[in-house]
Amino acid sequence: MNPAISKNGRRTLWVAFWFLVVFLYAPIVVLIIFSFNDSEIVSFPWLGFTTRWYHDFLANPAILTALRTSLLVATLTAIFATALAVPAAIALVRRKFFAKGLVSGLMLAPLVIPLVVLGISLLILFNALGVPLSPYTAAIGHVVIALPFAILTMVPRLERIPAALEEASRDLGASAMTTFRLITFPLLVPALISAFLISFTISFDELVISSFIAGDQATFPVYLYSQLRLPERLPSVIAVAVVILVVSVIVVVASEVGRFVSERRLEAQTGMAADEYGSLRSGKG
Amino acid sequence: MSDTTPAISIRGVTKRFGDVTAVSDVSIDIREGEFLTLLGPSGCGKTTTMRMVAGFEDPDMGNILLRGDDVVGVPPNKRHVNMCFQNYALFPHMDVQQNIEYGLKLKKVPKDERARKVEEMLAIVRLEGYEHRKPGQLSGGQQQRVALARALVNEPAALLLDEPLGALDVKLRKQMQLELKRIQSELKTTFVYVTHDQEEALSMSDRIAVMNAGVIEHLGSPREVYERPATPFVADFVGVLNAAELTVTSVENGRAVMTVNDRDRVIAPAEGLNLAAGAKVLAAVRPERIAIAKGRADGGEGSRLTGAVAQIVYLGTLMQFHVDTAAERRFIVHQLSSEASDTIDQGDEVTLTWPVDDTSILTVGD
Repeated sequence: MNPAISKNGRRTLWVAFWFLVVFLYAPIVVLIIFSFNDSEIVSFPWLGFTTRWYHDFLANPAILTALRTSLLVATLTAIFATALAVPAAIALVRRKFFAKGLVSGLMLAPLVIPLVVLGISLLILFNALGVPLSPYTAAIGHVVIALPFAILTMVPRLERIPAALEEASRDLGASAMTTFRLITFPLLVPALISAFLISFTISFDELVISSFIAGDQATFPVYLYSQLRLPERLPSVIAVAVVILVVSVIVVVASEVGRFVSERRLEAQTGMAADEYGSLRSGKG
Repeated sequence: MSDTTPAISIRGVTKRFGDVTAVSDVSIDIREGEFLTLLGPSGCGKTTTMRMVAGFEDPDMGNILLRGDDVVGVPPNKRHVNMCFQNYALFPHMDVQQNIEYGLKLKKVPKDERARKVEEMLAIVRLEGYEHRKPGQLSGGQQQRVALARALVNEPAALLLDEPLGALDVKLRKQMQLELKRIQSELKTTFVYVTHDQEEALSMSDRIAVMNAGVIEHLGSPREVYERPATPFVADFVGVLNAAELTVTSVENGRAVMTVNDRDRVIAPAEGLNLAAGAKVLAAVRPERIAIAKGRADGGEGSRLTGAVAQIVYLGTLMQFHVDTAAERRFIVHQLSSEASDTIDQGDEVTLTWPVDDTSILTVGD
């Protein structure tokens, strides 16, 4: 603990921290509680425990269709965003070229453009080109917003793969393509998985752009939003939200843990020299 | 290809990065089987020179020939040289065997032959039984050996080593120096070695090219470079050097005499130098060439300087005397501790003497 902070200061920080935790997670906790409340009105008093809202949504074909649409859109988004992020990240990390700052700014711009603006522009663009709206156009829109996140997930990993590894591969007779296939790509896999999952999550809960360009096949968030108008549907919507929440948390935690572990491994393996720990470990293994 | 074709021939090579000239009109012929060291401080162009031979940089001017063929513009994967990188650059996701056979696999060498060659190489670098370790499970010295094996298994026309021992501690470094020399003489591969460590260069090389600011200042055997440095920079960079600015008082019998006062003088061989009385020169002598004696000594026909001992430093095998001399310079004198006189103390008047041939004239002014 930082000795420069006084006792009062420490107490203030402690309070601020717990305030933040409550502020962030209280709504989620409330959501989970009400998903099990045996009442059509989402408010206290607690009328008993039930799992009927979960049964309800599983029996509702509209919800399942919307889920399937979202899974399709999110999968397509994740595949394309990840695939496009690889060359983009390599260019940003490994190459020197004219106006690199500008190019990287342009690639990351969707981070700061309001989604409403993007949604409307895409709608106008697709109309002008005569492209019918569908889950595929929604996926195109989602690739635009997921790409910066995919790139930013890959850049730090790539920065930690020493360029000398690629040079060594070239030196030993591999072409640039072979070097990518045998050296860069395998070392990049953990970041690819992270980028895939992050893009998937971004697409899966995206509402604004989908509401403009998903056409008449509503994605899951669009469907949920439309259901809010019908009070009797609300409890099963909440149940769905809880399921998605749990699945997302598991996926994101798994990807981050996986990335952390492989980063540690890469560090140990490309470090200047193995330390005592390394030789002990090899002795056991 | 005749036997006299150099393994590597660098001809008038120049490389600029923006406004900075990293390498300026460098030419060297590196003989087959030679151990050549590019020695110099960081930024002197030694690594750039090596990277141009490997194909990672293209020269702006000049030619690079590998066994007689010009390779400028040929990508690194098409050049028959291999490199050992500073931090080894072993592939972390492959084990020792996969690392070493990487080059062979790309050349589509059949599996049995690959396994046999990897085994041979592991024996040469003394890492038998480590085939299935990952680089992360090896010590620095072991990683270094794998890097060597990975390069040498391809039987390159030359092996390029970029400060390969820089990351090792002193003791391991000394050991690896001997190992490298042994491997080189066993395989008779041409080694081009880049380092800023003069001791490393002196102990391992057949020839040393001392580089400074993009040019080769001296190319010669370790002995030549150390004992007859071509320029003040070389003299200063390689080893400890005592240098004093003196005026030539007479030149006779191929010897330049620089009188300091009625007792003290420095005498140097002057053949090949256009010297006349009155010329200002920079004369230099190595610390271990100087004999030190208490009081006023004669010292025969060589150089003789009197001075006062400012400091005595004990360095284990060596005793180091710092002497303020009549030549208005502090000279450093090395004596073997076992032979050094115990009677000399700080503040004592001493006489430094050394033979004529141990003085070199580094620069001649007017």
